[in-house]
Amino acid sequence: MIIGAWISVFLTLAILSYLYKDNLFYKVAEHVFVGISTGYWTSMFFWTQIQPNLFGRLWPATEYDASSLWYKFYNVFGVFSSVFPEGGIAKGHDMHLIYLVPFALGIMMLLSVSSKLSWMARWGIAYTVGMAAGLRAYGFLNSNVIGQIKGSAFQLVNSNLPYFALVGESIFNNFVILIGTITGLMYFYFSREHTGNFGRLTKVGIYFLMISFGASFGFAVMGRISLLIGRFVDLIHYSSSAYNHATLWILLIMVVLLGYSAFMDKSAPIEPPVK
Amino acid sequence: MLWKRQIPILIATVIGLLTLFGWFIDNPGIESFVNDDATQWFDILASFAIFLGALNLMKLQGKKVLKQHSGWQYSLFAIGGFIFAIVAGFIYKGNDAVSWGFHVTSKGTLFKWMFDFIFTPLSATMFALLAFFVASASYRAFRVRNLEATLLLVSGIIIMVGRVPLGSSISSWFIMYLLVLVGSIAANIKLQDKIITFGVLLGGVVIVTIWGSLAGWPVDQPSIFYLPMLQDWIYNNPNVAGARAIMIGIGLGIFATSIRYILGVEKSYIGE
Amino acid sequence: MMKYIIELILSIGKVDRRWIFLVIGLAVLLPLFFPLGLPIRATNATQRVYDAVEELEPNSKVLVSFEYGPSTKPEIHPMAIAILRHLFTNSQKVYVTCLWPDGQFMAEDALTEIAEEEYGLTYGEDYVLLGFRPGNEAVVKGLVSNIRKLYTTDARGTLVDQIPMMANVNKVKDFDFIFSASAGYPGTIEWVQYAADPTGVPMSTGTTSIQVNDVMPYVQSGQVKGILAGMPGAAEYEALIGSPGIGTSGMDAQSIAHLVIVLFIVFGNITYFIETQRAKKY
Repeated sequence: MIIGAWISVFLTLAILSYLYKDNLFYKVAEHVFVGISTGYWTSMFFWTQIQPNLFGRLWPATEYDASSLWYKFYNVFGVFSSVFPEGGIAKGHDMHLIYLVPFALGIMMLLSVSSKLSWMARWGIAYTVGMAAGLRAYGFLNSNVIGQIKGSAFQLVNSNLPYFALVGESIFNNFVILIGTITGLMYFYFSREHTGNFGRLTKVGIYFLMISFGASFGFAVMGRISLLIGRFVDLIHYSSSAYNHATLWILLIMVVLLGYSAFMDKSAPIEPPVK
Repeated sequence: MLWKRQIPILIATVIGLLTLFGWFIDNPGIESFVNDDATQWFDILASFAIFLGALNLMKLQGKKVLKQHSGWQYSLFAIGGFIFAIVAGFIYKGNDAVSWGFHVTSKGTLFKWMFDFIFTPLSATMFALLAFFVASASYRAFRVRNLEATLLLVSGIIIMVGRVPLGSSISSWFIMYLLVLVGSIAANIKLQDKIITFGVLLGGVVIVTIWGSLAGWPVDQPSIFYLPMLQDWIYNNPNVAGARAIMIGIGLGIFATSIRYILGVEKSYIGE
Repeated sequence: MMKYIIELILSIGKVDRRWIFLVIGLAVLLPLFFPLGLPIRATNATQRVYDAVEELEPNSKVLVSFEYGPSTKPEIHPMAIAILRHLFTNSQKVYVTCLWPDGQFMAEDALTEIAEEEYGLTYGEDYVLLGFRPGNEAVVKGLVSNIRKLYTTDARGTLVDQIPMMANVNKVKDFDFIFSASAGYPGTIEWVQYAADPTGVPMSTGTTSIQVNDVMPYVQSGQVKGILAGMPGAAEYEALIGSPGIGTSGMDAQSIAHLVIVLFIVFGNITYFIETQRAKKY
């Protein structure tokens, strides 16, 4: 627990030291991050997707038959008992041998590590691209286009709504949203030159888009500052005596080492140009 | 060549058409494939893509170490981190009460320890660094060059200040005085006449002061100048309009691009 | 005198960016040590979430979904905790799912802190952690059609059929309310598109500040009842339920940091303005 706290503080401060300049601590932390996150996601995806959903459908426990050839294969792999436990994989699936297709495509993808066989990944990628295109085309058209257009439509003459209200619905507000949406969309129509009356409308459109981007910028700043607050809260928590003042010691050591290296850089003699 | 070019394009077209029309066809076999299996296969292949990425990364880092390119010592840390994560994921559980498979989401395991004390601080701090760069950009890069940039910055500032507790403590009268000041500066720039500038400033201050004293200086009236209210209106109306226009545009764009992939017009995924 | 001030402004305008980093770092750090206690006022969007939860009858079945990880924990964890507090105070039954694998860790932390330690509730009768299932929107679609096909056991390995509060709960339509604490994909949008819209179950959400604009059109059209936007949203909700937590303590730092950035923008533009005026003259 305490070792974990010290490691956590060291890694946090190492990344933050980049703000001073690119240095040894940052590079170490960055490379550790690359290695650990690769390993983390590999393990995570293997245990949550491949093992239960792929292997669990190729060798399910419900149809385990020690005498069949297929399960004899399985028992050979059973030497890795963590992945292939005794008696098949019990994840609530039935056998679907058609899953050999994604298995084969997946193996082809892995084989493409070698530069001679790099074309093999294209089959798996083609499947992924085709599937995503088919599914997303319908999904996005339905929810993002039709759904949003439906949301913009409103009753122009609705006696229930006030003409203008700062908070809550009002006819003026609905009108603003409708005009903004239409002119914003007009701006994205580049097949026609933005001149004349069309140009004036697209200018209004871009003003609405700019307000939207400004709001997004405000929210982005808000989000980043919140994350920074979270990190500082953790660092302050780890500076308490329960963790042997981890934050303070590591900060001191880093400042001393970085200051020393900055001093050495400044006082190093300038090398004469090679003749 | 057949294997490398024609077959991938054929796969993309066939699968794309199947999943697209699968929404509309009533055949139970096709329906069950599109609804259940197609997404599963997609997730499985995405996982293999992650494994491929991991293998490529280790291949690159390994090459760097073996050939001793500059900075090869850091690559040792990358490889070390990867091996540690693989050990925690596949070899050493650290908590025998939990079975393999559940150990990636259970407490008390080496994997969870790695997640809490190595992965979490690193990923959270990487994101948090951006706060500093945003501040630096605000200072050095965001310039009011034209009306569009002004709108962007003003709406950003109103959202930023109006959304936090500080914004509700700023009286709307303060904002009105600020607007009078900005108005007089603008008059000075446009008209270059000291008398008019002074007149605008004095007139504005007098009007606001009289109005305020009559109203009793309430913090949140007139509500159009009260930052949280103004922020709410901007957030709910023009902002939604812009966001909606972008959403519809993206939806149409995705639809068009998907059709291009299915028809084989777009071949960038095989590198052409 | 004027000239001296202008020269000073211009020289500060060209300062090394590391001083800016230091200023913003202090702007965030100091209020954490010396809180200002600025009053927190709930915005309309947060109020709508509170009202939607408050309107539920006691013993309603509420589905809470955790889809965030450690990198977005400072923003979303406070709101998840505040929602759980509100639901448990009103004696609601809480069912927890996760669309992200790290979401399960977050859910366990939150449930241990609130349900077990603070409220002393019984697992299986007052709250249950169904856990993470891979598949993104396929999981949401699966929950809409048949929960038991997706979840044969809960996160602790107990068979779902043996959990008392899972009786008569077979699909999303059996729930009275959905709340999604989300940081990206899959998240709020998937819940709206595949669950709340088709079944008509009311839903609310809390998201990171960056995601808010993507979800706003759904909030505006009423498909999602209000939204908790980032840490400020969490702090406002904590103020509404009357139990200040991590969200509230970060608010002072957030206020000061925002003010500093606004001042940076204004100051940077003053410098730019002076420079362009000079360039015009010469």
